[in-house]
Amino acid sequence: MQMTSPTFANTSPSFPSVFTLPHTPQLEALYTIIRDKDTSRGDFLFYSDRIIRLLVEEGLNHLPGSSYEGVGFEGKICGVSILRAGEAMEAGLREVCRSVRIGKILIQRDEETAQPKLFYSKLPQDISQRYVLLLDPMLATGGSAMKAVEVIMEAGVPEDRIIFINLISSPEGLKTFCTRFPSLRVVRAQLCDVFAHRLIFADALQITGWIDEGLNEKAYIIPGLGDFGERR
Amino acid sequence: MSLKVIGDDDGIPLSVKPERPSFPRTVSELNPNARNAVPLQAKKNTILKSHGRPPWYGEDGLPICDAFVVGIAGGSASGKTHVARQIVQKLGSIPTVVILSQDSFYKKHSPEEVILAHQNLVDFDHPDAIDMPMFAKCDSDLMLARRLRRDVKERGRTVDGTLDQYLRYVKPSYDNFVLPTARHANIIVPGSDNAVAIELIATHIRRQLKDRSTRFRQQMADAGPRQSLSVTPSGSSTPSSDDGEVCNHLIVLPQTPQLKGIYTILRDKETPRSDFIFFADRLATFISEKALEHLPYRPKTITTPIDLEYKGKELDTTYVCGVSILRSGGPLERGLRRVINDVPIGSLLIQSDATTGEPILLHLALPQCVRDRRLAEEAWVFLLDAQANRHRRGAFMAIRILLDHGVRQDHIIFVTFLVARKGGICVLRRAFPDVKVVCGAVDDGLRETWLEAIEEREGHTGAEARKVWVVEPGMGILVIDITCDRRLPFFTSIRHTSNFIGPTLMYDFSVLLQ
Repeated sequence: MQMTSPTFANTSPSFPSVFTLPHTPQLEALYTIIRDKDTSRGDFLFYSDRIIRLLVEEGLNHLPGSSYEGVGFEGKICGVSILRAGEAMEAGLREVCRSVRIGKILIQRDEETAQPKLFYSKLPQDISQRYVLLLDPMLATGGSAMKAVEVIMEAGVPEDRIIFINLISSPEGLKTFCTRFPSLRVVRAQLCDVFAHRLIFADALQITGWIDEGLNEKAYIIPGLGDFGERR
Repeated sequence: MSLKVIGDDDGIPLSVKPERPSFPRTVSELNPNARNAVPLQAKKNTILKSHGRPPWYGEDGLPICDAFVVGIAGGSASGKTHVARQIVQKLGSIPTVVILSQDSFYKKHSPEEVILAHQNLVDFDHPDAIDMPMFAKCDSDLMLARRLRRDVKERGRTVDGTLDQYLRYVKPSYDNFVLPTARHANIIVPGSDNAVAIELIATHIRRQLKDRSTRFRQQMADAGPRQSLSVTPSGSSTPSSDDGEVCNHLIVLPQTPQLKGIYTILRDKETPRSDFIFFADRLATFISEKALEHLPYRPKTITTPIDLEYKGKELDTTYVCGVSILRSGGPLERGLRRVINDVPIGSLLIQSDATTGEPILLHLALPQCVRDRRLAEEAWVFLLDAQANRHRRGAFMAIRILLDHGVRQDHIIFVTFLVARKGGICVLRRAFPDVKVVCGAVDDGLRETWLEAIEEREGHTGAEARKVWVVEPGMGILVIDITCDRRLPFFTSIRHTSNFIGPTLMYDFSVLLQ
């Protein structure tokens, strides 16, 4: 297993369409709280919601359109959460996008083959007309996320209309995820100059709060934050 | 007529007198139509606007004058307190006029007293520091009689003991030390039956106070293009003015498509109220997040649930609180609460004077960590004010108040939706260069207007004519601080009233009347 340094996220130009939130001391402090195993559930909820709101706010910036004089926002959106940890992000999404439609996908890992399997999916009927915000707080191996993207694309959503939002991802997971979509080009950028690059290069987007050091033998993200769904 | 209870510092009502409201105008005087519609009873409740405190600082943000000190000396039981109370009463029991007895320095003070004490404590002992020295004169037999009665009745002493003390200490020290101070006095007032004297004194004080109030409002708005901010929309800001002054504490949010979209919705006067509330709320949360980035952080090492160490950071502050400028700071309050758990939020009510437009401090309720002088040094304060119209001067006053309480200037973070490129914000930044300003957008214009005409058009009855500044294009007046229906949830008082594109601002007050 390849281990990467903690500064990985800021230096490596190897992930094309991956945008991380600016690593301000504040964001670092938020992550410190939710990573801490002694954090109470109430605090975990409060602070993870704050990160989710920031992620969704950032994710929405990658939708096209909406010039200043122009009216409102172009294009309809919907959310799709990957059960069950993804559900925890729905409230955060709704706080930013009121009355947004949210679909659900249940993907679980087959214990024998370690391959992700689709158990359930319920997506909005007109999902092919919409931009999709895919919600999953953790990207470990990337298996379920890729499966979910496949499902959404089968429903008629083009790759470049999917924006994947997660809190923490491992480099391994990101690598797999990005290799799966070879059309993606590698641009590592701060968020403010990201927009232009995206217009030129990116197809599917992923907004992530943090890129962690790696995975351990049980495919947990390290140092990670434990089981997100379990802690909420 | 309203009844005003005047209490002394013991909390015991001193007297109850009917007070004739001379300064406040009722609305019916303004609006002839309303006079017919509103029953006569409505006149009973008047707004005591004259009770506010006008600015006590100059354009540069520094206090221009110490408190106006009236010193009252006099023998024991000569009626000093009585004279003081009578004067306060005559002035209309304005909250900013306080009686400080020498003993008060050993008691717990109200914030107002602390401000006064802080400014004057050092000088109190010298007669030169007293703007208006007075001496309460009284016959010594009358003084003795009063003292005897007071000590026996109120303090539970014996007649002998009191007389003994009087002859041994009180009388000699009066003759030797107290009586000679009468020659420093400008005025010698009888301790009782002194209505004329009190009236004269009150008139004099009133005139003095009026002369002291400053008029720097015009300068703030007239701050010409020389003082306009140049802001790059990249997020980090490089505001500067042509006279070489560079201020690096103005933080404008990155102008992302989302943010521009939100502002378009907020500026649009056709936006339904529910949308307006939602987006104002969302923006408030986002701005609060950005404002929080300016707090200090320190390293912290924790253990994650899979038992690995992680070197992170944590907030390096002892006290964080918010102070909201009523009522336009209201929408931001909620944003702040969603970002800082259980954050204490205080409030200030600053109104502008109807005729001059000067800001007047009417109400002060600060969080504990600001009220307590020892904690204030450590406290970080988010000052919340939704928009940079008339209240920019309110913000100015609010910052001055926080500084008076001992909050450090670089610990104040001013959070607002919108600032105007010209005018008050430049004055603010020049006066308080270390205060950080976090805002979502910068608008170009600032224009003076009267609020009166608009309200009359709608037959609005709770209003009073006021001069206000409006930002153009702006987003209308966020919160009308004239009427508030307390039964409604808080956010219903949010206003969206501007016409973004049009040459003049349009106001729409119909929502309020629903």
